[in-house]
Amino acid sequence: MTQTDRQRAERFVAYLDPIQHQLTVYCSRALNRSDETADVLQSAVANAFRDFDKYSEGTNFRAWMFRYVTLETLNRNRAARRSPSKLEEQELPETGTLDITSFRLETLLDDPEAVLDHCDGVVAESIGQLTEQERRILLLRAVGDFKYREIAEIMDIPMGTVMGLLSRARTQLRSQLRDYARQHGLLSKGDSA
Amino acid sequence: MNCQETRRHWDLFYDSEGDAELHFQLNEHLENCVECAEWFDKQSRLESLIEERLGHETSAQAVTHVDWANVLINAGVTPVTKSRSWLFFSSGILALAASLLVVFGLYGLRFGSDGAPSLSHLSAEVHQHVAAGSLRPEFESQSDVEVDEYLLNRVSFPVRCPPRKDSGFAVSGAGFCELSDQPAAYVVGTVDRHPVSIFVLPKESLEAFPRQRSELRSEPLTGCREGDTEMVFSIIDKNIVLVAGNVGREKLTRVLKSYGTYPHTL
Ligand SMILES: [Zn+2]
Repeated sequence: MTQTDRQRAERFVAYLDPIQHQLTVYCSRALNRSDETADVLQSAVANAFRDFDKYSEGTNFRAWMFRYVTLETLNRNRAARRSPSKLEEQELPETGTLDITSFRLETLLDDPEAVLDHCDGVVAESIGQLTEQERRILLLRAVGDFKYREIAEIMDIPMGTVMGLLSRARTQLRSQLRDYARQHGLLSKGDSA
Repeated sequence: MNCQETRRHWDLFYDSEGDAELHFQLNEHLENCVECAEWFDKQSRLESLIEERLGHETSAQAVTHVDWANVLINAGVTPVTKSRSWLFFSSGILALAASLLVVFGLYGLRFGSDGAPSLSHLSAEVHQHVAAGSLRPEFESQSDVEVDEYLLNRVSFPVRCPPRKDSGFAVSGAGFCELSDQPAAYVVGTVDRHPVSIFVLPKESLEAFPRQRSELRSEPLTGCREGDTEMVFSIIDKNIVLVAGNVGREKLTRVLKSYGTYPHTL
């Protein structure tokens, strides 16, 4: 390793260090098989490091890095499912059909902990039911704490699509949680969708 | 803005997105509509609880543990520790691993404010690299017996077994470094899951660190802090032993005191 190579590596590691935990959580939640997390992160890091010269100093490294992890998680889930076509299409929300305001999730809203903590993995399981894009957008917002504009850049989709899909993901997730709660007798009988 | 319109914008409100005008209008409605204000509160509470669980690690759906040091090495970012490429020093026995050359090649030596090399600065630096995963110890094992054996055969000065588990220290590896030209062995591990490093140097190396020498003269067990790294050090038998970590000083002291519970015949 030359001095320049070393400096490059050190600089990369210095940028990466504070976001390792976030990347780990994000990657693990975005994958269908979380035991592939280390492997996927490794590929993403290798790709990002290879392109590190293209990263322009002073810009958002976190968003830049999350993009590599996002792509890698998509590739991995895609490879596992062998149905690439479904991922290519952007599923735009059908306005009116999945509107958060139309749900009455009384028990979930009144006592969310009773549902969310009924079983440790309920939330993490439920996001597995979302589409690949919805899941990533929700995670980029919830775990990565990114703004809509940043999510649009990371996902390479229009900001309007981010807004639509995020809203839909949230509604879907709540719907999943409500179903789960109902199955486990956590909602009162009178509760309706 | 009516109730329905207001509620449709909950996402933007919650995520602090959208323009100031929209937020002004939303706030105006919420100030005047108890039902919507309550609805917003509940939605936001549920969402933040969901987010908390998604970022949460200790649940049954725990995020798989990722060894970042390994990720970086396998991704070709940090060099593989070449345990066979030892560099021998005048002592003839102490070795310095390739990975450490990276650290010191980049950071050079750290000096105290008085211009003399500072043992605490240097140790904190190595510890931080180990904690961040950018430096891997040459030898990795969770067995204190194996770590002990590894060190014993490689250093010219006496070292002892890593602290026992009941001191709270769980060992994970060991290696060697030079701190301002002074040979040092280090043992890494965790206390309450926080990385903790133990540095062991021959007592004579204290001559190279005048500040620590005078501190130890007035206080046999000295503590200090470098950035986020807390540390305690003392002379134990024929060694200077320094314990560095991101946990409280009492816990580090416990580790320090338990060091050498099983002395080797010197
Ligand atoms: Zn209203």
